[in-house]
Amino acid sequence: MANYGMAFDYKFCINCHACEVACKEENGIDLGAKNHRLWIQEDGNTSGDFWNLDKDKVQFMQMQCQECEEAPCLKACPNGAIYRDDNGIVRLHKNLCDLTMACMHACPYGARYVDEKRHVTDKCIFCADTRLARGETTTACQITCPAKLRYFGDLDDEKSEISQILKERKHFTLKSELGTKPKLFYLE
Amino acid sequence: MNFIKKIIPMKDFTLRSLMQFEKTPLNMLMFVITIALLVAFGWGVVEYLVHSHHAYNITRQHPWGLLIAMYIFFVVSSTGLCIVGSLGDVFGFKDYMAMSKRAILGSIVTILAGFAVIAFEIGHPVRMLIYNVLSPGLTSAIWWMGTLYGIYLTFMIIEFIFLMRNDMKNARIFGLTGLLVGLAAHSNLGGVFGFLNARIISNGVFYPTYFILTAFITGIYLTYLMYGFRYKMQIPDDIKKGLLGLAKIQALLLGILMFFETWKLMTAVYGGMPGRADTAEHIFHSAGFLYGEVLCGMVIPFVVMLATKWQSIKLYVFTSFIGMIGIFFMRYDLVHDTQVKPLQMMKITEYQLPPTWIEYFPSAAEIAIGFGAIGIFFMLYYFGQKMFELDATEH
Repeated sequence: MANYGMAFDYKFCINCHACEVACKEENGIDLGAKNHRLWIQEDGNTSGDFWNLDKDKVQFMQMQCQECEEAPCLKACPNGAIYRDDNGIVRLHKNLCDLTMACMHACPYGARYVDEKRHVTDKCIFCADTRLARGETTTACQITCPAKLRYFGDLDDEKSEISQILKERKHFTLKSELGTKPKLFYLE
Repeated sequence: MNFIKKIIPMKDFTLRSLMQFEKTPLNMLMFVITIALLVAFGWGVVEYLVHSHHAYNITRQHPWGLLIAMYIFFVVSSTGLCIVGSLGDVFGFKDYMAMSKRAILGSIVTILAGFAVIAFEIGHPVRMLIYNVLSPGLTSAIWWMGTLYGIYLTFMIIEFIFLMRNDMKNARIFGLTGLLVGLAAHSNLGGVFGFLNARIISNGVFYPTYFILTAFITGIYLTYLMYGFRYKMQIPDDIKKGLLGLAKIQALLLGILMFFETWKLMTAVYGGMPGRADTAEHIFHSAGFLYGEVLCGMVIPFVVMLATKWQSIKLYVFTSFIGMIGIFFMRYDLVHDTQVKPLQMMKITEYQLPPTWIEYFPSAAEIAIGFGAIGIFFMLYYFGQKMFELDATEH
């Protein structure tokens, strides 16, 4: 069994949204802006005139469930519907979800939303129902990314690419001050 | 019916007599308001059953709306009435003995109205009932709150039965147990917000304690309203003494609440912590907080009680109505304000302009169900009055 995590070379993002499309296609996510397991956030605005654009101020961040080790959503669920699977991924027993939306309220990253089709809450689960279930060890967003900025793998395996990268490069996690211990890492 | 009467003493009534009441202008007004609210509730429920959560204006960024606020409004009222009811039959304060039956009935019907609201807010209420038992989430404040409220309701009903049987010994035992469970449930409701490390503005010890304080305040407001309506302002002496005592307690509680609120805001703003200070300033400048919570909920009732030196029951009935408007804003703001700050810290929500504050206004269906449940409270309370002798004063 693995302990999956993801790292992002976030400065390479070109904001093409291919990851979002691939995620929706792979996991059968409904169309529409509000239905998304992952999204790209834009930080900063392009300034200056043409030819002299100060584009370095623009930054795109890959956002999705941060797969917290201390997941607030898991603790907040009144029915025990949210659990951690053998691969360390925070998952949902769909038939137990009563849609109190306590998990949505508790998540510091706004990663959860209501899946209209199944009438339960949903979030990124590293393609656990699809690609991982088929025995693959990649995610749809990762293999689709033209900038190849996503690294996905087993954090407990010292030889995995993600473990090597995290050893070699400086990185940070989001809202780490909340003690959620995210397993998504942003590379400097 | 005789079997039920053996368990709990009831008045003699028929379906026809239940529907009959004195046709005074005030009664007729209450009748029309109740029917209108019940029709609104029914329409809102149909809207929800047809359109599910699409009937509500809740969003991914603002998943909890008016219905959660109204649920809190009702359960706070229930806990408050339970506290007021316990003053006499649990703690033995003689001035409040006569109020116990009515207050405990009030606490039962308000929590039932609250359950009616939450049933149409939760996506799968039946699943909730089943898996609340089969796979309890023990780390969840919502689980504790819901479970304890279920137990609390059971104890309140048993206490009410013993009160009606004038069995004060058992009423005291179940009343005390129910009160303790109710307070635990209610502070867990505060914990639902206090545990949120995602929402810095609500995280901490404030809400679990604040909920108990405001519950007592709400209970006193409702006690005034119930007795003002029951006796059409001609309050009998045995009740008057208790109500005047409650006014003093209310003034003290309001003073403490204002003290709490002042320090909550000051500590939130001081130091300028991002996410907390800006949210607190935003709250401070909102009309709901200033005119609803502060003016209606605290300042007006407090000033009136202070100015009249706790002697004007009629005035307190009217200020209690204003106070309840303030209590509604306290609940609404509590729910809204915890979600008003966008969570995404890197900047914008995709496909939208950069958010400053998250907007929310309840839909027609939310308003119909949320406020319509007040009609359920009115209806149940009316039937309770018709079926049970609530005015017996001697135990």
